Amino acid sequence: MLEIENLKVHFPLPSGQTVRAVDGLTLKIAPGETMGLVGESGSGKSTVGKAALRLVDSTSGVIRIGDLDVTKARGRQMRKLRSRAQMVFQDPHSSLNPRMTIRRAVAEGLILNTSLRGKALRDKVAEMLEAMGLPAQFHDRFPHELSGGQKQRVCIARALALDPELLVLDEPTSALDVSVQAQILRVLRSLHEARPELTQLFISHNLAVVRFLCQSVAVMYLGRIVEMGPVDRVFDAPSHPYTKALLSAVPVPEATRRPDRIRLQGDIPSPTALPTGCAFHTRCPIAKKDVCNVQEPPRIELQDGRLVRCHFALGSAPE
Amino acid sequence: MDPLLDIQNLSLVFDTFDGTYHAIDDVSLSLKPGEALGLVGETGCGKSVLTRAAFGLVPSPPARITQGSVKLDGMELLGLSDRALRQVRGRQVAMIFQDPMTYLNPVFKVGTQLVDAIRAQHGGAIDRKAAREIALDMLEKVHLPNPLRQFESYPHELSGGMRQRILIAMALAARPKLLIADEPTTALDVTIQAQILDLMAELVDDMNLSMIMISHDLGVVAQVCSRVAVMYAGKIVEDAPIRDIFDSPLHPYTQGLLGALPHPFRPADDLESIPGNLPDLLDPPPGCRFAGRCTYRRPECTVPISLENVEPGHSVACVLRPGEAATTDSATKDLNHA
Repeated sequence: MLEIENLKVHFPLPSGQTVRAVDGLTLKIAPGETMGLVGESGSGKSTVGKAALRLVDSTSGVIRIGDLDVTKARGRQMRKLRSRAQMVFQDPHSSLNPRMTIRRAVAEGLILNTSLRGKALRDKVAEMLEAMGLPAQFHDRFPHELSGGQKQRVCIARALALDPELLVLDEPTSALDVSVQAQILRVLRSLHEARPELTQLFISHNLAVVRFLCQSVAVMYLGRIVEMGPVDRVFDAPSHPYTKALLSAVPVPEATRRPDRIRLQGDIPSPTALPTGCAFHTRCPIAKKDVCNVQEPPRIELQDGRLVRCHFALGSAPE
Repeated sequence: MDPLLDIQNLSLVFDTFDGTYHAIDDVSLSLKPGEALGLVGETGCGKSVLTRAAFGLVPSPPARITQGSVKLDGMELLGLSDRALRQVRGRQVAMIFQDPMTYLNPVFKVGTQLVDAIRAQHGGAIDRKAAREIALDMLEKVHLPNPLRQFESYPHELSGGMRQRILIAMALAARPKLLIADEPTTALDVTIQAQILDLMAELVDDMNLSMIMISHDLGVVAQVCSRVAVMYAGKIVEDAPIRDIFDSPLHPYTQGLLGALPHPFRPADDLESIPGNLPDLLDPPPGCRFAGRCTYRRPECTVPISLENVEPGHSVACVLRPGEAATTDSATKDLNHA
């Protein structure tokens, strides 16, 4: 459904340097699948989401949504793209127009892209909002009259109004409290049943949330995917040393502390000066001199269908 | 052992144009020397206001402390002059906050700021050279790589994790008895968060520090703290050792918070969401403030309730007693999902 091949998104800086936000990323999401895209800030995960919807232009590579080539779409095709792929952002407050009622916010896309008018339009909007648990008394309210969770549900209703095939969610719960986050996660998970055809790309730094919501997961580091596969496999038996470190850094809500912790030293390097070889070698606990700092790791497919970019994914790593 | 910090029956209101906002209501909390306590709750529950009010950091007006006492090492802090309070803050009590960038001055070098802060902590009684020695020593303690070089850096040249290490060094340079950490890792990435939490756990042990860590994340608190107090709508609803909070939470709100939390290593069929919204604190309900959202609600919940000790070290403000909740547990789950 969503296919990205060797995507590069580079941003030139006035200083002459280049930010390599996404640097050779390949991924595929099957129709109806929900894929989590995880990584630290600066890993390029949001840029991937934006490029998939052509909210930023890509430098090279191919992005396809179904049969539509996103990177080449123009004019009428762009219009088509907008109704086939939609996005929900992190901060629901700044993604709603404060001067529009939520009814109007949801109706806008329908007015622009469909012939629905009058009562039919009204009914459709009401149906969308009610499906998100917002009954009629809310529909004429303005965003400032709603709570954060309610606003995020409006954003989801608006994104779904045009019946998109692809929904990109960029950290949709990180601005919300735990109990409200749970509410939104339940709404999103109910979409798996309510809209089995909908493909979702769920961008998040919160691994627990990804575990709850996604069937597959792709782990990004400095513009590339280092590990990708079914969520249970990746979480229960991570293969890439970065995935291992990321998972062991997650604060687990239980009283006993986990003994098998791996701690990364230092910070993520700057995407203006990517390390040579494997981009992770500067922080990697198993990096080997003259291998990891020189050669780019190959893309290795494990038996369970997982893809890993590490020289030692098939063993022979120094323990 | 006498408590290091002893807050008794503290209430604080904000006078607003819409009326009196009851932000903190009759809160008691005490901390033993060397103890690390997590103060947990959702946005607006009063966790930051409580710790700030205790050390005179909430401007009055609009805030007004209507009752209570705050004792640090036996000394009453409420009613102290600004000058006297300033002696307490920085020397006996230090604080670090969520966004380290906001607390560093962007136009001065990190070293200069550290030296100035340390000299102020000593009331100007030491010279710059001695302060520099202390600063470098502290930077080593917080494992900042390359301390001499960072000394000459400006805050914008450092990463978020490094800035937070510098603020921790600055806060602890005076060897305070108590550290208040207000969401110290919320702005950081998960791998950096893990580094900072390790550091804080280490410092609590090594420096015999007492700490209150404010967080909305029970997972974060579990990494460092041995005890947790859960706040809801300006009240502490449960106060217990960390193990009890996870294994046998008694207050329905604590149970709800835990049920709402996805677990990274346990696939879950569903999460609980707590129905309803926070009560209006301009006109709070007379009894339990959670009653309006509680699935175990009873008629007696409208009567004011305070924290009661039900097991050693475990207090809860709820009419339910251990065991009672469990019997109706499945019924509630159904209700929640309906």
